[in-house]
Parts: sequence; C-alpha cells; structure tokens
Amino acid sequence: MNRDMHRFTDAPTGPGPAFPSVAETVHFARTRGTPTVRDVLARSVQNAVVAIQPRCGVGGHAEMRQLLRALDTGARPDVLTLTIDSHTRLNRFAHAARLAGTDPSALNGYPLVAHGWQRGRELVESVSAPVEIRHGSPDPRLLFDVAVAAGATSFEGGGISYNLPYCKDVPLAHSLACWREVDAMTGDLRRAGLTLDRELFGTLTGVLTPPSISLAIGVIEAALAAAEGVGCLSLSYPQGGHLAQDVAALRAIPVLAARYLPADVEVYPVLHEFMGVFPGQRAHAEQLIFYGALTARLGGAAKLVTKTYQEALGVPDAQANIDGMRLAAVANSPLLDFVTVDTERVEEELDWLLAEVDDLVAPVLGAADPARAVTAAFADGTLDIPFSASRYARGDVLPCRDASGAIRYAVAGALPLSPAAVARHRSGLGLADGPHSMRTLVDRVTHDIHHFLHLFREIEP
Amino acid sequence: MRSVPTHTDAPESAHDVIVLGVTASDAHAVANQLIAHGLRAQGYTVINLGVCTPVAEFALAVRENPGVLAVVVGSLNGHAYEDLCDLPAARAAGDLACPVILGGNLSVGSRKDPGALDRLRRLGVDHLLSELSDLAPLLRELARQAARSRQLQTI
Repeated sequence: MNRDMHRFTDAPTGPGPAFPSVAETVHFARTRGTPTVRDVLARSVQNAVVAIQPRCGVGGHAEMRQLLRALDTGARPDVLTLTIDSHTRLNRFAHAARLAGTDPSALNGYPLVAHGWQRGRELVESVSAPVEIRHGSPDPRLLFDVAVAAGATSFEGGGISYNLPYCKDVPLAHSLACWREVDAMTGDLRRAGLTLDRELFGTLTGVLTPPSISLAIGVIEAALAAAEGVGCLSLSYPQGGHLAQDVAALRAIPVLAARYLPADVEVYPVLHEFMGVFPGQRAHAEQLIFYGALTARLGGAAKLVTKTYQEALGVPDAQANIDGMRLAAVANSPLLDFVTVDTERVEEELDWLLAEVDDLVAPVLGAADPARAVTAAFADGTLDIPFSASRYARGDVLPCRDASGAIRYAVAGALPLSPAAVARHRSGLGLADGPHSMRTLVDRVTHDIHHFLHLFREIEP
Repeated sequence: MRSVPTHTDAPESAHDVIVLGVTASDAHAVANQLIAHGLRAQGYTVINLGVCTPVAEFALAVRENPGVLAVVVGSLNGHAYEDLCDLPAARAAGDLACPVILGGNLSVGSRKDPGALDRLRRLGVDHLLSELSDLAPLLRELARQAARSRQLQTI
C-alpha cells in the first residue's frame, strides 16, 4: 500500500509571482486603514462585545470578491473569512488550479494558492474587515506564505487540530513540524512589527467534542506556538449546547493561558456556533444560532464564528450568511444585560474542567520535547479524540450527553483523568454501577449526535 | 494495546475478524467509528481501515490477515459506485475472496434508484444493506456458514 503522505502533493509548477518582502507585507497591513484581526480581538475584549465572523469560501475569484463584499456590506462583520477548498488543503495545487480555471463551482472553498497572493490581496482590499484564512491543512506552509503576502492577519490551525479530524494517514510528527515552521514565521513577522493572530481549531471533529479534550489540545498547540514566538493566539471551542458547560469552557481559557503560556502572549477565547448535526427547519436553526451567540456573550468570548439557518442543507448563500450574522449580533445588545447564567453550576463545571485539562496536558508540556511527547501520547491513548479520522489517534474515547445535555465521557479510554473525574462522568450518564453494554452505548451516542433534532422534535425519539 | 473494554456484551464469535472501512472518496469518520465500537462489543476483532480507503487497501488487509470473515464497507457520500469500480479487477486477481458487505447512503440524491443497487451488485458486492441493524444478523449468518465449511473441510 502506498503510505506516502505526499502522494496527493503536486510537484511545484514553476515560479509564481515573487512574494513581497516582509517589510512590504508589514507596511501593507499597518497602513491600509483597517484594523488587524488582533486589533479587533483586543477591542472586543476591552468593550466586552463579541466580534462576529462568518465562514465563507467559493472557488471563483470574482464570485469570492462578490461574496465578501455582500457579507461586508450586509452585516458589517468584525472579521471576514477565506475558507480554502479541500484540494488546496491537501497541497493538490495543480488540481485546484485546473478546477479554478474550468469549473470553479466544483471547489468547496477558495483556492488561494492557485489564484495567487495578488488576487488574495485584491480580496483583502475589497472589504473593510480584516481577513482570516480557515482551512484544514496538515502542511500549510505554502498556503501560509501566500496568505501573509495577500494581507490576511489571522491564520487558523495547528499540528494536531488540522491533522486528526481531516487526514487519515499524515503522521502527527510531520504536521507538527510543518506547523512549527508556520509558528516560527509568525514569530518573525511579530519581530518585524506585525502581530498575526493564530487561531487553534478546538472544534476538532465537531461531534460531541468533550470540553477537556478541546481545551487540552488548544493549550498544547498554544504552548508549542508560543515557544516559536507567536504573540497572539485564539483558542476556539465548539458550542456543545449545554449552557453552564459551554460558559465554563470559555471562562477556562484565560485561566489556562495564565497557567501554561508566557505572560506576553495574548490569548482570546473564541466560540464556534454548534458544529454538529443542525436542525433543518429555519425557526429551529435560528434558535440554536441565537443560543450560541448568547453563550459566547455569557462566556466572555472575544469572537464568535457563525452558522446559518441553511447549515443542514450545505454551503449557505450570501443572504443566509448575512441573516446568521445579524441574528448573532442581536445577542450583543445592551438590552440583554438581564440574561445571566447560574454561577454556581458554572463554577462547579469550571473546577472539574480545569483539573481535567491539567491531567491531560501536564505530562506533555512537562516533557523535554513536547512535540515528541504529543505524538507518543496519541499513540498510547493518553491523548485522544473521539471519532478520529486519523490512524495516529486511537479514537477509544466515547462521549455521550447526560440528562441535562452536558457532554460527558462514557469511555475515557487511556486518558490520564483522575478516578474521581471518570466516576463523575460515568455517574452523570447513569453508568456508575459498573460495566455497560457497548451496543446500548453506540445507540445512545447516535441519539446524542442528533440531540437538537430530538429537542426540536424534527425526528422521533 | 487497546484498553480493556468496560462493557458487558458477551463475545459471540471471539475469533472472527472483520475488515472495516469507508470508501475512497469518503471522509465520514463518525459512523465508521461507531460501527467499529459496536462490532468490537459483539466480540469481533475489527481491523478498521477508517475513512478514504481504496479497494487496494481493503485487498491488502484481507491478504495480510488470513481468515477474514467479511469486508464491511461504508459509503455515505453517494459515490459508492465510482469508489468501488476497481473491485471486479481486484477479485479477478484473486483478492477479496471473502464476502463484501456494503452499506450506507449508496447513491446521490434522496430518491433511490433500484438500478444503482444492481450496478453495485454487478461490481461484485455480495450484500447490500440499507439498515445498520441488518449488519449483526448478517455477520452471524456468515460466521455460521464459515464454521460449517471449516467443519466440512476437517471431515
């Protein structure tokens, strides 16, 4: 079997247009009259108003510019997105370029490398909000070069979070080494006067992600990035749907940053609106979107990445995307100060969560070579993610929802959690009294994946 | 080593090996992982090749693991036919001699065309499942047949 991880990687097709110098890139970002993503995040924390960002990416250049301008004028988001197509994510640049020329609508995102940094800069210059690149690439080195030259001021991903949910066969050691280069280049830019935001993708597979796994991986990637000189990090967390648990997870992020990261690194909590199976009916989807935006507000998120009422159908059109952002922005209203959260429940969740994250990250970050310790930990299951697409994580962990909808570990695999924490999770699920039937559990996980369809009675129990 | 399962399901066929995977163009990991958990709970030894598995990789796993009871292939993205078009050649070359079971969402579109299932059968798929709950009884039946043929060989 061919296990060459570069089998889909196209050979270089000759020199593209030369990249601008670092000095020119820094000059462009600092003088174009709009804030950087980092400026937006800092302002958002200062004003305690959650910044709003859509997901968006189409294959054609003109179509992409039109879409960005429509979103920019339609909802005035604080940050805009270029979502990159999956061929580019896998470094199949020639394939992406061919489709961009012949059938751009067949691409599921914007092929930035194929279009080149000058077109990328045209997009950045066409809107009033700063631009983040979102993708899913285990080896993003060329994409990063093009993104920076284009004038994007935030770049999402990490060596763990952009490998395990997306790739079957890329060794973690390889993706971690690639991302280390990206982080080192981010450090170089910072020294040259431009602080890029690096967002870490705590959403992972987006299905019943246990909060302590999301945050532990975020903290590990953040520590690796900070060690390379990155000065601005966004830790994202996916809305699970249980208010106290989600608020606790967002509030844990600054606490963990103080514990594990250098004091001169800025860390921003980010919420991704629910990433799992979305209700199909518009009214239900909009309730879930608004609930997510309120969660971001109550958790003190610096930024919210939005969904749309068309989520269940596929990639949304521009108007649905605008409607989703405008709805989310309503939750920022000063009129909603009366909405509060049960502090005692949040505190209880937060205490347990911080202890769990400590148990997960301490062995790795305490190691002499943390990157190597990450690879070893995923091999022996002391780090793990549920539903891993990659063979470099074991996927032994199985999450379920308790009666209140909180996400708990039914099976914690080899995670080094305290016996008390494991007992709390299992008793919350009614599994305290010893072994369970795996067949029953698989049915239960399936049910819980469709939680919001059941809640809104879109499907029978 | 995988951790010791903390579940109660009695192994029904402790030694039967199942090769499991998702078709070549399909990256849907969640159902695949759940089926692997479920089959292990039923006592099967599961070699889970995971998402994006080409026919050649299924064939290699069967070659490397003698006595595979069945190959269970999932496809959720509607591209099962394109993804399995190497199956006749593989079987003609002597690969994948065990039963091949295919389940999931087997063609594009919400209205299913019975012709699509015939085309998949003509590729050499032995069992087409529309419901996941049909998998366990089918595997039990295949295990019974395999045991019977082993008995016949020893007589």
